[in-house]
Amino acid sequence: MKKVLKDTCILSALMIICVFAVSVIWSGFTAEILLVFELFLLAFIISVTLFLTDEWTSLPIAADYIVKFFAVSGIVMLFGFIAGWFYPSNFWMVFIYVGAVFAAAYFLDSIKTKRDVEFINEQILSRQSRKTDDEK
Amino acid sequence: MIIEKRQVKDQPLKVVVEYPEWDDSAERLMHRIESMNVSLPGRTEGSTVSIDIAELYYIENVERKVFLYTRNDVYRYDGTMADIEKAAADTGLVRISRTCIMNTMHLREIRQIRNSHLEAMLDNDEKLIVSRKYLQDIKKVFRRERI
Repeated sequence: MKKVLKDTCILSALMIICVFAVSVIWSGFTAEILLVFELFLLAFIISVTLFLTDEWTSLPIAADYIVKFFAVSGIVMLFGFIAGWFYPSNFWMVFIYVGAVFAAAYFLDSIKTKRDVEFINEQILSRQSRKTDDEK
Repeated sequence: MIIEKRQVKDQPLKVVVEYPEWDDSAERLMHRIESMNVSLPGRTEGSTVSIDIAELYYIENVERKVFLYTRNDVYRYDGTMADIEKAAADTGLVRISRTCIMNTMHLREIRQIRNSHLEAMLDNDEKLIVSRKYLQDIKKVFRRERI
């Protein structure tokens, strides 16, 4: 199911890019088309930032999410001001949007990490029991 | 396929493959065994010794110098972490952080400690910090072991 959802997201992203890329040829860069490409550019910048954060830091899960939350909020805020998505007086809205996404991601990541650790420890135990059986 | 194993004390690990015809499955099996038979050159006080992967506990990159840690000794390795990862692709060695590669053969437990940090406990009581990002790679090593 997870793979189907992931593939659906990738496929829908490709469909959006293709459809809007073709639309550029016919109608040029309209406001809607521009917004879609701006969102893709923002997603790319955020992905690079998160990749570099993972690569260069080794923080506990909560601290990791706090650092990423402020980094991504800063990027979205800057990008939003440049793209004219919102007025400087409404900057606090960024924290709400980014915060909601990060809260969900943190929750899911915590569960996943716990499951992964349990899986690895189970495998170590079964390996040890296999080893003990072999020695008998 | 008939699998036989027996303990022969004080002798190095020896694998004998008998085959009626050299076919794909025999070749795959040999390739798998050969890929596990990896050793790394470690330098210590002027001499270089060959260290079997099974003897390694972990490998650490400290200020661009790579060190190989066995149960009791530390050796200097004249290469990069990437070289080791390439040479030991099908073994129990796995990267657990940007600067550390761990041998899962010596892994006793992974635990979530205070502040949700992950810690790997080795069978010599050594503790290593594990980055969450590499948990999937550790899982892959254990999945491969089951096949």
